[in-house]
Amino acid sequence: MTPGRAPSAPGPAPAERARARRLLLWYPKAWRSRYGDEFTELLIDERAELGPSWRRTVNVAATGLRARLASAGMAAHPVDPQAAARAGLAAMTCCAAAVIMTGGVMWSQLAIGLQWSVPEDGRITQSLDLMSAALLVIAAAAVLAAAPVAWAAFTAAIRGNGRRLRVPAALVAAGTSVLVIGGRHFENAWPGTGGHLLVQQGLVPGGVAAFGWAATMWITSYWAHPAALAAFPPSQLAWMVLSPAAAGGLLTGIAQMLRRVQMSPRAFRYETRVGLLALAGLAAFLAGALCWLFAAGGPAPLPQPGTIDLAGLAVLTVAVVAGAAAAHRAGAAAAKLKRAAPGGP
Amino acid sequence: MSERRTGDRAADAGDTALETLGRSSGPASLILSSLADGAKHGYALTKDIESFAGIRLAPGTLYEALSRLEANGMIEAVESHDRRRPYRLTATGAAALSTYLDAQRKVAEVGLRRLAGGWALT
Repeated sequence: MTPGRAPSAPGPAPAERARARRLLLWYPKAWRSRYGDEFTELLIDERAELGPSWRRTVNVAATGLRARLASAGMAAHPVDPQAAARAGLAAMTCCAAAVIMTGGVMWSQLAIGLQWSVPEDGRITQSLDLMSAALLVIAAAAVLAAAPVAWAAFTAAIRGNGRRLRVPAALVAAGTSVLVIGGRHFENAWPGTGGHLLVQQGLVPGGVAAFGWAATMWITSYWAHPAALAAFPPSQLAWMVLSPAAAGGLLTGIAQMLRRVQMSPRAFRYETRVGLLALAGLAAFLAGALCWLFAAGGPAPLPQPGTIDLAGLAVLTVAVVAGAAAAHRAGAAAAKLKRAAPGGP
Repeated sequence: MSERRTGDRAADAGDTALETLGRSSGPASLILSSLADGAKHGYALTKDIESFAGIRLAPGTLYEALSRLEANGMIEAVESHDRRRPYRLTATGAAALSTYLDAQRKVAEVGLRRLAGGWALT
């Protein structure tokens, strides 16, 4: 039927097949289920003809990792434009979450610090204003993006097609509940956030800043100082372990929801446009954080950026660049979906 | 409105061009050329391409290009009881290969002509 019959006939040894199967693990599950069997045969045939080769292993690893990046929305998706759009949106969400968490640490501590000491350098307050406006844009984009996804999930549940959405919906509900309840409780656990000791002095910062501080309490350099950490109340330590797990669950639920919910090509286009709005917010936040870094470099008393803020800036930069790449991929895939849809241009 | 429609049609046509496959466009042209004379599975493609182009495509590179060609409708899998699944060229793939090879032939002709002229002057 086809030329080039493999030299491995009548059949490869089980060890050969197992070796080829191990190499397949470089690829994502969806790719393996589509191409896994035939690719395994090719690897067996190649090895039978040419013997072992580290170049082949490196090639498989590199292309497998590219396929994984593609399935995560960070590279061109070879299989399906709808999967590419979903993956791009999920990756964009993860990048936005990274900015919100690391940026939230900076913004909340800066906002709280300014309650205690107004800096002479006006650029610091301007930086905070820019970061605050950027967070508002990101929050607005999150609401705009969540609305059609929530509606699609709701209608799927009404029609009895919501079985696949149960786990992500439960993760979103549980993660949000833990973060809101715990954040509200711990935002008043430290005087610097407006704790009860200083209320009468008018040193109570905005509740949003206090909540942001409490929700991101686990992002701290105290982890590098176990002796100091040991002095923390057990409930606070428990919260510092529970809150990242809750945030992870929330993010996983949102990403799974985006990958599973049924949406029209038009809805995908809408989501990618909202993603661009969020991306503008992420970039504005990064600009604000950089302005603060440069403005606060002098001898001003408070608040000065620390090592963890520099690390946060690095995370912010990576997240914004990765978010831009994901938004671009999602946009291209959504445009392709729209063109392929019946009645599309 | 008409400009937009024209732009969209251009985008549609662009989707079927080999250049849109990025890093896979080189291997893709070899794969399509190999499939032009009949269906082949992965190993058969590797051997055939090696025989006419002198290039041995690594397995990962081959399947990266195959998956992109399939996603773009330029090739399709053939039903097979064997684990080695053959692929064949589609009409879209044949048109894309023809366009690509025409462009390559023009480049080759111009390059060869100018090279010949340059050597003649020296």
